[in-house]
Amino acid sequence: MQVYKALFKIIHKNLPQITIYIFSFLVVAVIMSNVGSNPANADFSETRVNIAFFSYDDSALSDGLESSLSNITNMIDIPDDREKLQDALFFREVEYIVRVPKGFAEDLMKGKDVKIEKIAVPGSVSEVYLDNVINKYINTAKMYISNMKGLSDKQLTDFVMKDLEQKAEVKLIRKVEEVSKSQKVGYHFNYMAYSLFAVLILGVSTVMLVFNKKDLRNRNLCSPITPKSMNTQLILGNLSYAVLAWLIMIMPSLFMFGSFMFTAKGMFFLINSLVFSLSALCISFLISILVKGPGAISAAANVISLGSSFISGVLVPQELLGSTVLRIGSFTPTYWYVKSNNIIAGMTELTLRNITPVLYNMLIVFGFAVASIAVALVVTKQKRTA
Amino acid sequence: MIIKVNNLVKRYDDLIALDHFNLEVKEGEIFGLLGPNGSGKTTAINCILSLLKYDKGTIEVYGRPMAPDAYDIKRNIGIIMQNVAVFDELTVYENIDYFCGMYIKDKKKRRELVEEAIEFVELDSFRKFLPKKLSGGLLRRLNIACGIAHKPKLIILDEPTVAVDPQSRRKILEGIRKLNDDGATIVYTSHYMEEVEEICTRIAIMDKGKVIALGTKDELKGMINSGEKITVEILEHNPDILEGVRSLPNIVSAEFNDNMLVAKSRRGKNNLSALLEYLRSSQINVGRIYSEPPTLNDVFLEITGKELRDHA
Repeated sequence: MQVYKALFKIIHKNLPQITIYIFSFLVVAVIMSNVGSNPANADFSETRVNIAFFSYDDSALSDGLESSLSNITNMIDIPDDREKLQDALFFREVEYIVRVPKGFAEDLMKGKDVKIEKIAVPGSVSEVYLDNVINKYINTAKMYISNMKGLSDKQLTDFVMKDLEQKAEVKLIRKVEEVSKSQKVGYHFNYMAYSLFAVLILGVSTVMLVFNKKDLRNRNLCSPITPKSMNTQLILGNLSYAVLAWLIMIMPSLFMFGSFMFTAKGMFFLINSLVFSLSALCISFLISILVKGPGAISAAANVISLGSSFISGVLVPQELLGSTVLRIGSFTPTYWYVKSNNIIAGMTELTLRNITPVLYNMLIVFGFAVASIAVALVVTKQKRTA
Repeated sequence: MIIKVNNLVKRYDDLIALDHFNLEVKEGEIFGLLGPNGSGKTTAINCILSLLKYDKGTIEVYGRPMAPDAYDIKRNIGIIMQNVAVFDELTVYENIDYFCGMYIKDKKKRRELVEEAIEFVELDSFRKFLPKKLSGGLLRRLNIACGIAHKPKLIILDEPTVAVDPQSRRKILEGIRKLNDDGATIVYTSHYMEEVEEICTRIAIMDKGKVIALGTKDELKGMINSGEKITVEILEHNPDILEGVRSLPNIVSAEFNDNMLVAKSRRGKNNLSALLEYLRSSQINVGRIYSEPPTLNDVFLEITGKELRDHA
């Protein structure tokens, strides 16, 4: 295993440059994972709006409306004085003022159009919300009036109040939290594409450039070691390096996201990144055949890893990228890798239907690996016969 | 016969690099392949090592046809390339260990061989150095150590002393002799005729892809008409002397180089005494006198009509 050992010694000598990429990944991954969270999605609490309610109609329907609103708002006691009410609105002591005019119940019972006076902070969420609540109250009452003849004011109010007591309960379920965590993991794994690509191009190209040096290659060819053994050791070495780089890169995710990484979703993130690593390894192998010197390796590592990251949604989310950019990005495995990560991150349930696109994307990423190796073999053969 | 090359032809498009090249290397000899740059020495070596495909001819090493998959034959060959072929990322020790390990699997034995090789090329104090920290001469010695660490029976050295300081060159040549004394057969290519003349037991002179002369250095020198080159310091410069010297029997040419008279003679006896007798009888005062026997350059010059050095 002379070649295998020499390969790792060569990588070891180039470790400082590789470490820069790994270190920068660790720092940025930790920062991005924390900044990238969306806590608003992770919690729910009911809020109550401050309102002022004035009724000039002494009726059960009016009382019912007041009672109905008091269940969901804070009733603020303010005198019905135009100036004071305006001040209260300006200083947001109240956000909505309701005035029930005299004859409201009588008009409603007769089927006439009723108007409730309101003053609200224009365009506010509370205005829309309370408009809906009041309209719902009146519409429910109208529905009973039109369908049940001879109802008294009191009876009608009882029916309406009973109906409006039905409330939709908002329950915070665990999946919301999970999606939020998935998104964090998604950011982490998306960013990994950049560093992993750079680290693999640097390592593999450096090693292959050394072994492809004409004089060294000739000396190796003069030895009794078979090309098959030589190539096997090189492939094994590069594969070991890729797996090692992948393990180092996923290590922070195990620390940061703990048990999540051992759930089915976490596993999909890991498998997806492993498939991407293999693809990046094959592309790095192709690049190593095409580049001429150490300077070109560094340039290729930066241009390819950073370039593909920009157009594939690693540094800028895919949702924010233009269709043309995404179309170009789809010619890189990074695009499909990130797409898979985004799908996995957004999944609330792991079903075959949900996971199928991820599997297809992985196949495409694997296809890049096969294509790169095929091109590399053709280029190698052409170089040999040239 | 260790190496037997028969009618080898190698073409690069229209250029014929080896033109019916023949070679036989016997066991235990230091065989020199001498020729100017571009004469086909490295091409011949690369064909012998199966690094290059050839168009015609046969190559046998140890009595068996040489081929890229002749691993048993390769096991007994050590190669020292014209360009230094070592890993820049590995230390002196690691480099020798790597190449030795291609031949020797046993770790203990390999360790011993690597130590011997380091001692042989006197790189003990540099074992942890990276190649880029070594001088040109030390680097060449490392290159040699990588090729001989596994103790091959046949060692092929392709211009191992190019761009090497005289001290390192001396050590390299001494080392080659020692390897030969220890039983290795050596094939040594160079365009430095002094080196070839100094260490090789048999020499093939190459030009335009062909062996144009073959034999020991004395046999080669015996093939030509040129005799010694006589250089005499003339204390009183007189151009008329040249006419008189040129008229002497066996003198081919005479000319002044500053105040030194340089006369070339044909092969024959008493050329020096005849010249000195002429100068004494002409009452010409002389200073220092040198007489040099013909060199391989003279052999090359006479056979091809051009200087071997011109191409170096």
